[in-house]
Amino acid sequence: MNRALPEMLHCINTPGNIAGSFTDMSVLERQRARIKWQQEQLLNQPPCYFEGNDQFNGYSMPNHAQDFHNLISSEVGLVVKADPGLDNGWQEFGQFGGEGSGLGSSGFVNGSGFELNYGISTTLSCPQEVAAAVTETARRESVSPEKMSSAVGRESFKKRKADRNQSLKAVAEEEPNEKRIKECNEEDESKITEEYSNNSKNTTNNDNNIKRETSADTSKVSEVQKPDYIHVRARRGQATDSHSLAERVRREKISERMKYLQDLVPGCNKITGKAGMLDEIINYVQSLQRQVEFLSMKLAAVNPSLDFNIDSFFAKEVFPASTSNFAIGVQSEITNPAYLQFNPLQQLASCTGLEMEINTPDMALRRTTSAPISLPETFLNSSCFDQIQTSTAWDGNLQNIYSMEFLQGRSTSFSAQQFTGSNEASNLKMEM
Amino acid sequence: MASTVISNPITNSNRATSRKKKKALQATSRDQSQNPNGATTQWKSESQQAAYSSKLLHALRQVRPSPAPRPGRAVREAADRVLAVTAKGRTRWSRAILTNRLKLKFMKNNRRQRVVATAVSRSKKPRVSVLRLRCKNLPAVQRKARVLGRLVPGCKKEPLPVILEEATDYIAALEMQVRAMSALAELLSISGSGSSGSS
Repeated sequence: MNRALPEMLHCINTPGNIAGSFTDMSVLERQRARIKWQQEQLLNQPPCYFEGNDQFNGYSMPNHAQDFHNLISSEVGLVVKADPGLDNGWQEFGQFGGEGSGLGSSGFVNGSGFELNYGISTTLSCPQEVAAAVTETARRESVSPEKMSSAVGRESFKKRKADRNQSLKAVAEEEPNEKRIKECNEEDESKITEEYSNNSKNTTNNDNNIKRETSADTSKVSEVQKPDYIHVRARRGQATDSHSLAERVRREKISERMKYLQDLVPGCNKITGKAGMLDEIINYVQSLQRQVEFLSMKLAAVNPSLDFNIDSFFAKEVFPASTSNFAIGVQSEITNPAYLQFNPLQQLASCTGLEMEINTPDMALRRTTSAPISLPETFLNSSCFDQIQTSTAWDGNLQNIYSMEFLQGRSTSFSAQQFTGSNEASNLKMEM
Repeated sequence: MASTVISNPITNSNRATSRKKKKALQATSRDQSQNPNGATTQWKSESQQAAYSSKLLHALRQVRPSPAPRPGRAVREAADRVLAVTAKGRTRWSRAILTNRLKLKFMKNNRRQRVVATAVSRSKKPRVSVLRLRCKNLPAVQRKARVLGRLVPGCKKEPLPVILEEATDYIAALEMQVRAMSALAELLSISGSGSSGSS
């Protein structure tokens, strides 16, 4: 008894932690009361005890058997003192939990598996009468683990219906737990002990894990298994309705896109809330569109000279256009093809292109600095008409242009004649 | 998209637009990213801007020197069209811009339809619907989402997440357009002033 006492106390203490209804002190008190009562029984009625059971001759029996028979005798004949607050199940649990010392402390960490373990462990060495009590309590306990873990896995329960493709750990736990409760009454005792100890550890660990995971994976949207479904894990303490899940997915999509926009629109870092953000976005889009309008007006104003520099802009964005370049280009313009390269001599092509279009002398004047005016005009007259006759296909020219532009990169030189021919022809064709 | 453009009666700029689209699809290499983040970085790349500028130049060359009603509008529409072409039609707004232009060109002679088409393409806010929205006391977010939807071409009746995604891409594209056009204007003005100064 003395040996069993601390073990029983230990075992009883831990369910007290879990159940929460019993305080440690009250359990201890009850246990002590019970033990005292048993001792009294033993001491007071030894003759009855020995008379009742002839096979037990003395105290040579091993401790566990002695306790066992104490309980049997107590159950059968003696007064069964109702422990305050404890039902019969607890009584047996406490006793046999002490006996099953192998199970005793290892598996009983915490968690709802506790009641489960008690119910299971009693099947180890319980005779039929106790087994009946155990099954009864086991059935009761089968309800309580559900209730215990339902607080944790309630979401996952309902989510199972809403989310049929995802296998949750809680589901995996609940089902084997229930199955094992039924199994325990039928299977071998020793085999069950190990299984249950493992499962109890697993269940307790899993229950803890579920609590941790549901709080950790708060916004886990995993597209797993089937591409058609978006699997959402409900957060802890939130509704698990299918509608609210879909709503949450939609909200998360919207907030993700708002974040992108926040990066894009300047000055939106301080603003939180969708309405303010939308205001900022609207203002920004409007300002951008106004800018485009303004710039297009400006370009329209500059449009007559648009083609003046058109070819020079192919190379880079910011092009240091200057009159000196134009002058150089003009002077060497007779040998046009040689100078047709992107980088600074691009103006040559632009000049040639320009000449095709600009028939007015004032434009020519504008273009050149020191070159003779007549030269470009003659060039224009002579070459353009030839070019018109030679180059017939608009598509071909454009194709040349584009292919040269995009494929060859910026710093490559065109096949010059082709370019000039097409350029001139295109310009002429526009004019005529 | 490209096929419908080609089959229609062709004006100069239309033909050029179709060809530009074909060449753009063939020649330009773009990032193949799906998410909005990738799209915005794509718009910021230099290659995009260069391609857009070149196409814009070609388009502007073909713009008639001074359309009667408003000179700037033709340029602006050309610029928008080129922007939509550069977008390669992956987004709603680009497709909407191109189809609107198409309608405009196709029904060019019909003044009434042109007004309607331009109204659609310009994304102006019709006053009636704004008032109706206010009267309905929609939630503020909803109201503003509708306003934004009208601003972005082709997104008038889309739900909010779609509008946000389109707006992301549209803002990036607009920024690139502004950059390109401002550079172009600057170059033109510099060169123009330079040449006029020299003469």
